[in-house]
Amino acid sequence: MKYQSQKVAYVFFATCMLLLGLQIVYGFIMGFAHMGFDALHNIIPFNAARATHNNLLVAWLLMGFMGAAYYIVPEEADRELVSIKWAYVQWASFVVVAVTAVIGFHFNWWEGRKFLEIPRPLDYLVVVNVLLFIYLIGTTIWKGKRYTTTSIVLFFGLLMAALLYLPGMIPTENQTMDSYWRWWVVHLWVEGVWELIMGGILSYLLIKLTGVDREIIEKWLYIIVGFTFLSGILGTGHHYYYIGTPRYWLMIGGIFSALEPLAFLGMAIYAIGMARKGGRNHPNKNALSWTIGCAVISFVGAGFLGFAHTLPQVNMYTHGTLVTAMHGHMAFWGAYAMLILAIISYSLPIMTGRNTMNGVASGFAFWTSNIGMIAMTLAFAVSGIAQVYLERKMGMDFLTVQKEIQVHFFGLVLAAALFTLGIGVYIYAFIKSGIPTKELGTNPDYH
Amino acid sequence: MLSKSAARTFFLVGTFVCFFAFILLTLDTVRRVPKQTNADQITDSVKLGKKLWEDNNCMGCHTLYGEGAYYAPELTKVYSRRGDAFIRAMLTDPESMYPGERKMVQYHFTDEELDALVNFFKYTDGVDLNGFPPEPDLNTNTVVDESGEVAAIGTRPKVFNQMCLACHALQGQGGAIGPSLDGVGSRMERKDIYNWLKDPISVKKDSMMPKLPLSDEDLTELSTFLSLVKE
Repeated sequence: MKYQSQKVAYVFFATCMLLLGLQIVYGFIMGFAHMGFDALHNIIPFNAARATHNNLLVAWLLMGFMGAAYYIVPEEADRELVSIKWAYVQWASFVVVAVTAVIGFHFNWWEGRKFLEIPRPLDYLVVVNVLLFIYLIGTTIWKGKRYTTTSIVLFFGLLMAALLYLPGMIPTENQTMDSYWRWWVVHLWVEGVWELIMGGILSYLLIKLTGVDREIIEKWLYIIVGFTFLSGILGTGHHYYYIGTPRYWLMIGGIFSALEPLAFLGMAIYAIGMARKGGRNHPNKNALSWTIGCAVISFVGAGFLGFAHTLPQVNMYTHGTLVTAMHGHMAFWGAYAMLILAIISYSLPIMTGRNTMNGVASGFAFWTSNIGMIAMTLAFAVSGIAQVYLERKMGMDFLTVQKEIQVHFFGLVLAAALFTLGIGVYIYAFIKSGIPTKELGTNPDYH
Repeated sequence: MLSKSAARTFFLVGTFVCFFAFILLTLDTVRRVPKQTNADQITDSVKLGKKLWEDNNCMGCHTLYGEGAYYAPELTKVYSRRGDAFIRAMLTDPESMYPGERKMVQYHFTDEELDALVNFFKYTDGVDLNGFPPEPDLNTNTVVDESGEVAAIGTRPKVFNQMCLACHALQGQGGAIGPSLDGVGSRMERKDIYNWLKDPISVKKDSMMPKLPLSDEDLTELSTFLSLVKE
């Protein structure tokens, strides 16, 4: 670590840990409700748990991206962050907005639009907050001594993510157009510009961890984000099959979203290829595990499982069933959650000068959480496929089908317990690392 | 081998072309959607219904056009499936409609709001969703009924499909919350069925079945139909 201001990332990462923990709690509430144990219904009805679970995810991933940017950008730009104080202000205000939103959900204060549940007044605060963040990152790069592809890709990913938040606020009285614009935000985030951010962070990690030449890594970065946009932009069409939009989206969405796995496959081959190619034997094996894991699981979860129900003929039956939850869990875990856990695993030992992220515990956290998530995905898959056949193909009543698949939610909760154990160990290691040290470069091994 | 600047060109050109195509398609979609979604039928009441749908995060449990959460039923076509009266009764007192089942939050809607939600569902019912939701194509319930044609799907009263099948099954179709109605005509007289439907609690004190919003014509039609559903 070359710059003091990189330590700003720590508070963002610590908040990530807290919000991730809370997100898991709300996941359990929903898992139990699906099994029929809904004792909390009067305090936390399902829709409140659902909105909280999803928005905590979005909040901690954004926190993670921001923390990663604050860590990476000074080093790439070769100068201190323009203002440490304002970075802390930006962090604190983001936390306030997120906490207000989550509390509001429990009092029926929201905008019931999937993934964008944050009430409108808070949306404006989010915009102001993100503008401040973009300003801090942007001016640091601008004033810096060098412009690297990695920092430029990361910056444009973050800038586009901020701009693409705006279509979600286009007012419309038509339910179809409401969905249409909503997917501009949600899809173009997760299957578009967030992948730029992901590519930028992965490149940084691969440059650091493998020692492969920057020119080679950044060349492949362009090719992969090129594929992402070639497939992902028009791939938005897979949300426009059955919501009242023109029929041509079936063809356009089908063709382009079928190509989306290629971008993720490219990302996986790229990460593994660079790791094999690199002669550097970096001591932080744990960070390398999460980096490679991220690339591989994002291909399986986002690429392969997304493809499994993206063709319109299949999606006609799976649209609006638990099959979507199956794909969603592993996709977010692989592509974005693991990415943030990777950058934390890499940067934390450097910031704190203490390495609690190596050894048995870190391996345990990595494997347990991943096996747990794979098992959760299988439980969702079994219940989702059963639901599709019983409800959509045979015409059985919704609630009758839900009772048939209840047992799979028991499996889900067991798998989630395993996942939670892994995450628990990770968070424990995070806490044991302590807070960042005053001096720079206390642990040269981990650079 | 590809140079870095060639890779950058590939990225920039590809992204620009796709984004441009996406903008053009969006302009075309914005132009076509009003006709496909009967935008002329979006009255003030429908707008209020949509607002209530969002303000109460209905999509946090239900799906509409297949979008939302997977905890409660898909509400696309709910208007034709369950009808006006059932929707109102459900929104007014969800727990009595599905006793002991998965719970829905009880909202205290005014009459105007109930109208708005019903109108919203009625509006969404007519939107052309390119064939969604699909017709169940593996449905094997084509058993010829012993009691003659009364139990055939075509001759059932509409209100039977909308209300009764929400909880009860006939010939294997319908809900599993109340007992099956197969052969109910052999167990109960028409008059008893009529009284039961009119007010279940007055016949059996601990009945779980709610008093449904049925008109006199509905009661006559249903009790006649059910009395003919013999073993």
